[in-house]
Amino acid sequence: MRALKLPSLPPDQEPGAPGVHPRPLWSLRPKSDRQAGDAVVSNFMLHWFPAKVSRASLDWNYSFWLGTVSAALLLLLVVSGGPLLFLYVPSVERAYSSIKDIEFAVTFGSWIRSVHRFGAHLMVAAVFLHMARVFLTGAYKNGIGQGQRREFNWVLGVFMLLATLLLSFTGYLLPWDQLAFWAVTVGTNIASSIPLVGPQVRELLLGGRAIDQPTLIRFYVMHVIVLPGALGALFVYHMWRVRKDGGLARADRAGRLPAPVAAAPVATKTYTLLGVARGTSPAVTTNRLVDEEATVNAVPDLTRRAAIVVLGTFAVLSAMAVLMRSPLEEPANALVTPNPAKAPWYFLWLQEIVTDTTVHIGSFTINGAFIGGVVLPGLIVGLLTVWPWLDRSPREAAGAWFPQTRRAQNITFLILTLAILILTLVGTFCRGPYWHFYWPWETWPDIPTRL
Amino acid sequence: MSQKDRRDFLLRIGSTAGMCAIGYQGAAALRSLVPNVSYDAPTTVKVGLPSEFPEGLKFLPDLRLFVFREGNVFHAISAVCTHLGCTVRAEALPAPETKTVDGKPLRLTHRFQCPCHGSRYAGDGSNVAGPAPQPLAWYHLAIAPDDGQLVADLALQVDHDFRLTL
Repeated sequence: MRALKLPSLPPDQEPGAPGVHPRPLWSLRPKSDRQAGDAVVSNFMLHWFPAKVSRASLDWNYSFWLGTVSAALLLLLVVSGGPLLFLYVPSVERAYSSIKDIEFAVTFGSWIRSVHRFGAHLMVAAVFLHMARVFLTGAYKNGIGQGQRREFNWVLGVFMLLATLLLSFTGYLLPWDQLAFWAVTVGTNIASSIPLVGPQVRELLLGGRAIDQPTLIRFYVMHVIVLPGALGALFVYHMWRVRKDGGLARADRAGRLPAPVAAAPVATKTYTLLGVARGTSPAVTTNRLVDEEATVNAVPDLTRRAAIVVLGTFAVLSAMAVLMRSPLEEPANALVTPNPAKAPWYFLWLQEIVTDTTVHIGSFTINGAFIGGVVLPGLIVGLLTVWPWLDRSPREAAGAWFPQTRRAQNITFLILTLAILILTLVGTFCRGPYWHFYWPWETWPDIPTRL
Repeated sequence: MSQKDRRDFLLRIGSTAGMCAIGYQGAAALRSLVPNVSYDAPTTVKVGLPSEFPEGLKFLPDLRLFVFREGNVFHAISAVCTHLGCTVRAEALPAPETKTVDGKPLRLTHRFQCPCHGSRYAGDGSNVAGPAPQPLAWYHLAIAPDDGQLVADLALQVDHDFRLTL
């Protein structure tokens, strides 16, 4: 396996320079703290992990590992997108039939497409839940470390949520079926409702005035190059910031709590490795983090759990894709709008809002498309972005679920989430032909599909 | 002028020029994405001889246009919802009614509903319920001088008292 004959060392004796003599299996079974540390330093795949992590931040029921789940889904989406790139043809004449081939003619094609499609749906959910977790635990707040900029990482996260949604939306058009065509009609008309520049924005999105080949190729390139590239860059930056900010907010919390038993101050090396303290004056002297029990080696404790989460995500998604097929509607038909025409579930709350927000003031009318499709989502995103700076709660509120000092904020967030959830449910289950309201148990009236 | 000032000056000039060059090239690359030529379907379309149109309504799906005929009087209303651009559907009224629209009587035989967000329009295209911000557009109709076909002009909106009388 090794090309070079390395100077042989007795098994217990460790090499002086980690990384010079990489040993792949260190990463799985380190025999000492030293080997555990060296595993991180000398392994390319592990270099982004700290050497030691606080035990509390690994807890399943603190983070639910939602960020890891999101990243695992992103990985799967990239991997499952690979074969699809070879099979899909981005042309209005052939897009639909190439998807049909993937679905019915290609070996395992249906499964690959389902992995990609359900992965996208799950990723929207996972990224949102990750954001909700960070909000509810106040994890965008800075703790005791120097140079922390957690609020900035939160902003990156908001952009990553937007990138995830845009990726879903652009991927939606590609099958060129009815669902795709009308979702894009509505989506781009929302853009054109912006005063003054709207029509030009729509024309730029579509590459013309009607949804046609230029639109398909634009959405395709956005979907396979621009947005994945942007999300990838944001992801890397996001992880780098997590390291610079000293890991999860929960680790700071342990650093602030006094040690259960007075321990002799130890060398600052541990803190530096944790990334908790930098600069000249470590703020931590004796606290929970010093406790031997409080920290564990990232290899294998963190890597084992990360592997469980990633492989578990793979397993769940793969099983889902085997059990459920991805729908494909009729080919896109510019002549007939489906009745009802529904957006994907994560945009249904917006579809509800644009339905209800047209305002008439005397003879003056503001299109609901602008209020519900541009202003309101813009406000929500803006509010999310600046929230860490509006949050005046004490530092102690970071890294814990539902602290007293952030109760009002958390309730506000939950109410907004609930409102969005209710609108989504109404859109999913209670809207029938002509977007009329029907209870789920009511049957829809028979309406001829064509004039 | 000291050595240091000159270096500083040159550095500024150099970096500014570099930024300008990169910025301009970036803008040029992006400008290529704004289409200069439109391959859209023409907006002035012959839709057939007047005699081919039935009394009442005929829907032309590829133009997204309703053409109404009342004897020898024609008018055309767009099927594009003014809210978010879905195609509205026509529903025949149980009994036609006559309404004065822009000072002219108009026989209403249908009403329109949008499948996307539930906007509703009366037979003259006026928005009556739902999120639609304005009435459906009325388009100009004419007779082609060469073969006598009806010509719809989808770029020319007209008032609601427009009628083409043969």
